[in-house]
Amino acid sequence: METKISRYLHAKGKRLGLPINGTFELTPRCNFNCKMCYVHLTESEQQKRGRELTADQWIKIGEDAIKAGTVFLLLTGGEPTLRPDFLEIFRTLKAMGLIVSINSNGMLLQGELFHALCEDPPSRINITLYGITNETYEKQCGLPAYDRVITNIKNLREAGIEVKVNMSVTPDNSDDLQAVYDKAKELGAHVQSTPYMFPPIRLHPELCGQNFRLPADEAGCMMAEHEFANSTEDQLKRRYDALDKGILLPSDRDEECLEEAEGEAMHCRGGVTTFWLDWDGKMAPCGQMSEPAFDVLKLGFNEAWQRTRAAAAAIRLPAECSVCPIKNICHPCAAMCYCETGNFNKKPEYVCKMRQSYIGRMQELRDERFGGR
Amino acid sequence: MDIKQQFVMREVAGEYLLIPVGKTSLDLNGMITLNELGAEIWKMLPEVKDEAEIVQRILADYDIDEATATADVAEFLGHIRELSIII
Repeated sequence: METKISRYLHAKGKRLGLPINGTFELTPRCNFNCKMCYVHLTESEQQKRGRELTADQWIKIGEDAIKAGTVFLLLTGGEPTLRPDFLEIFRTLKAMGLIVSINSNGMLLQGELFHALCEDPPSRINITLYGITNETYEKQCGLPAYDRVITNIKNLREAGIEVKVNMSVTPDNSDDLQAVYDKAKELGAHVQSTPYMFPPIRLHPELCGQNFRLPADEAGCMMAEHEFANSTEDQLKRRYDALDKGILLPSDRDEECLEEAEGEAMHCRGGVTTFWLDWDGKMAPCGQMSEPAFDVLKLGFNEAWQRTRAAAAAIRLPAECSVCPIKNICHPCAAMCYCETGNFNKKPEYVCKMRQSYIGRMQELRDERFGGR
Repeated sequence: MDIKQQFVMREVAGEYLLIPVGKTSLDLNGMITLNELGAEIWKMLPEVKDEAEIVQRILADYDIDEATATADVAEFLGHIRELSIII
């Protein structure tokens, strides 16, 4: 859950136009090969498309971001730990006064890297667990990596490092979801799962509206069932009270990009207090969007941020969604609309169906457990 | 006075933040917010020998009586002592 001070800084940053939270996507390369990934390129594909920024370039951008007001920074990829200079980048940015978290698949978080992180820890490591067996991993990621990843998570937890487990649920691993929740609990790690896979349009514009993912109605049912099974009575009561008022409580949405609804404008933090810098130095409101994007190397950090803010403010979501009775449950974001339809102002049908199915299943589960209302 | 842990002080959006660096972030995962007086005291900590010197410096810089300054300084040092930032 987000801390009070983070919320406060975002609220103040919003008034003042400050980039409080940023993401540096250090590389599109990865040692896994997941079918639903929106960023992964092989080394040769990456070289054809562009050049990764150097450690010095990332550090210089970090300095500029700090001057502009950035406090929280996420290092992601691809798999960021694949870079031989990963530790140099991480340690330097952290020592400058950024609160740095890391996204990783967990595979390389051992040996020298593990010991270095114990000496100089990130605020959190978000590790995606893709299943609960080596077999699921092989099917999902192309490598039987489960045993190694889970050992690495265990060691990080024992060293006192905060780990959050993310699970991207797909047709290849959906049977493992409950076991992942149970395992994360055993390891003392918070877990967040989602069956919603953004279409990978940054890599393949022709895949607009498509991805390797569950059908929308199954995805919605699954969200409801796992939320129901993994919440306390109190949590469920609060969730149902909110749903009855047409509101989805924040914990179910992506905590990094949450912002209160604001009429028809984008209601996430992208381009408001948050920016994403992709691996070749283009700034966007969020990592799922291929546009609007502004070249930080050419424009400088401040100008890229100002243009990102202006472009995000100009985005309008679908008029149809703005009058929908479940708009505060569904929360279609700009990236969802764009990735599903190729436009910011067209209704994302997959998301709509998924949320309708979620609401229906939540109501059925309530009736089954507590009887009719 | 010796600061036992590693922090970077930053001013963001008019707020003073103490951000833990190095291994300190294992014990203190997050940040500490300071008010203006706290930030002033924090800046002078490495240069002063004791609490009384901090009070004298505050009295020189602020329009404040000695009893209030003494109490405010003691309160601030008490907070950071609880967090093992100073002894």
